[in-house]
Amino acid sequence: MKVAEGQQQSYTSLVREDRVHSSIFTDEAIFEAELERIFYNHWVFLAHESEIQQAGDYCVKTIGRKQIIVSRDKDGVIRAFFNRCRHRGSAVCSYPKGNASFFRCPYHGWTYSNKGELVGVPYQSRYGADFDRSELGLAKVPHLGEYRGFIFVSLAEQAPELSEYLGRAAPFLDLFLTASPTDRIELSAGASKSVFRGNWKFVGMDGYHVNFTHKTVLDLQTRAKGASRARGVNNSDKSPNESWDLGNGHCRLDQSHGDPVDFGEEEAPGQAETDVPGSEADQVYLASLEQRWGSRAAVNERLNRAHDVHLHVWPNLQLIGGEVRVIRPISAGVTEVTGYLAMLGDVPEEINARRIRAYEWFNGVAGFGSPDDREIFERNQVGLQADQEPWILLARGQEMAEASPHAELIGNITDEVTQRAQMRQWREVMR
Amino acid sequence: MTAATAVGPGTFERVSSFLAYEAELTDRHRFDEWLSLWLPEGVYWVPSNEENYDPRTHLSIIYDNYERLQERCFRLSAEGVHSQDPRSRLCRTVGSVQVRATNPDGTVEVGATMVLVEVRFGVKNVYAARVEWVLLDAGDTFKIRSKKVILVDNDEPLGNVTFLL
Repeated sequence: MKVAEGQQQSYTSLVREDRVHSSIFTDEAIFEAELERIFYNHWVFLAHESEIQQAGDYCVKTIGRKQIIVSRDKDGVIRAFFNRCRHRGSAVCSYPKGNASFFRCPYHGWTYSNKGELVGVPYQSRYGADFDRSELGLAKVPHLGEYRGFIFVSLAEQAPELSEYLGRAAPFLDLFLTASPTDRIELSAGASKSVFRGNWKFVGMDGYHVNFTHKTVLDLQTRAKGASRARGVNNSDKSPNESWDLGNGHCRLDQSHGDPVDFGEEEAPGQAETDVPGSEADQVYLASLEQRWGSRAAVNERLNRAHDVHLHVWPNLQLIGGEVRVIRPISAGVTEVTGYLAMLGDVPEEINARRIRAYEWFNGVAGFGSPDDREIFERNQVGLQADQEPWILLARGQEMAEASPHAELIGNITDEVTQRAQMRQWREVMR
Repeated sequence: MTAATAVGPGTFERVSSFLAYEAELTDRHRFDEWLSLWLPEGVYWVPSNEENYDPRTHLSIIYDNYERLQERCFRLSAEGVHSQDPRSRLCRTVGSVQVRATNPDGTVEVGATMVLVEVRFGVKNVYAARVEWVLLDAGDTFKIRSKKVILVDNDEPLGNVTFLL
């Protein structure tokens, strides 16, 4: 239900620069307002163009509670419409993806082309002369924009340009693609679907939790490589790594300064350990990158950054390691997360096969990293119910963060620069 | 798959008994004993989204070789494995057991269905799967060459499935 303009409640008092009120994670009324003001009124990530590569391909995505069909017609044009028959509202498509020239409503047989036009109405003679099929196509999503294969939509009547919204996040989408020698990725390796009993905003960006939440990952690394005095240092206040505020709620962690082995997902050959000549596939892969970037040193420098841009495009997209992660809020206390692995275009098959195994190791639904993140999100939701002291603290590094030419603010990896960046945008949108 | 020979007398009973034992080890989080059932070339596979595909081109919920199985059991035994601290309480039934083939290389191909109830933090979850094993008949017992667990909801969002399936 849409609240009339001017009658919206303001939630700005719940977010201060150094702390936020826990009701924004637990209150169902605030959640409903978030759906209206964020998910239905702001640019959000919808799909990647590789999911609908061929003419006639479509997939169905859900933004908040609204199902959206994204399709590619025979001329290659990508469109997005709501999955709702214009007659009595049934969902016209019941498969998550496929290839179709038409969508036929199962209720009374109204039929739409994959351009969204109403092309067939059974027994149309019982409508009057003013019945106009051209006005009854599937409702179009108001704004659709693509940036280098990433498809975003806004359900708002008016939206800023996509480039304006992406702002300083865009160069990191670019960087993510450069792990492929031809800037091509495909989300063709299936999906890793998970759900947790916690608020969607917990899927944030946090450089402080690694040594604690992922203690067993460090244990596994110690087991593989032997004990090290440097254990965990990259995720500590002694780390040269950084947390970045990119503006518009976008943020990232920059782990290119320290030894990047602290994340299991980066351990796979063909990923981070590019200076160690591996198999023939590695040689082919590195040679193709070297041709583009000029030298092995340039390739190493780039891959060190491209293999984990660790970016959050607010509100619902993250690029973590090789993962394209999409956040879907279900209720204040339930969230779905779908992970896709970016399969690199124009690399030997073995490189992608190893990316898959590496993905499963850390990020997989039953992997060694992400399940512990979701466990913590669930415990957050439990803890926040006890709101005698309702404020949660986001003050870490607040006085020490600095502006830079590339970001609004940059702090130590363990600083809450990223959380403050997201909450500032939340406050702006929920005002 | 090599040419199958007839299922020998008693094989079904021996296989069923082995599956019950394996179920007990997984339900009770007896990781080291479970690991000792595996052959070094073993593969533990829980497909994602679909029942069958090339795991080199499609990601899986789990695709463990023996080395990764060791890591999984090490992690599940470690302090700080938050998603299994406290551990899930598990009870599974393995039924509709079929010995589908016995092969000249000494392996037995087995299919079954599994229904698993999990309780943790006051929430009860039910998982159901078709399970396929290739077991090496070692005379007095079996060793696992492969185990494939096809969850009926492997294309749905899954909660915490960090315990042994």
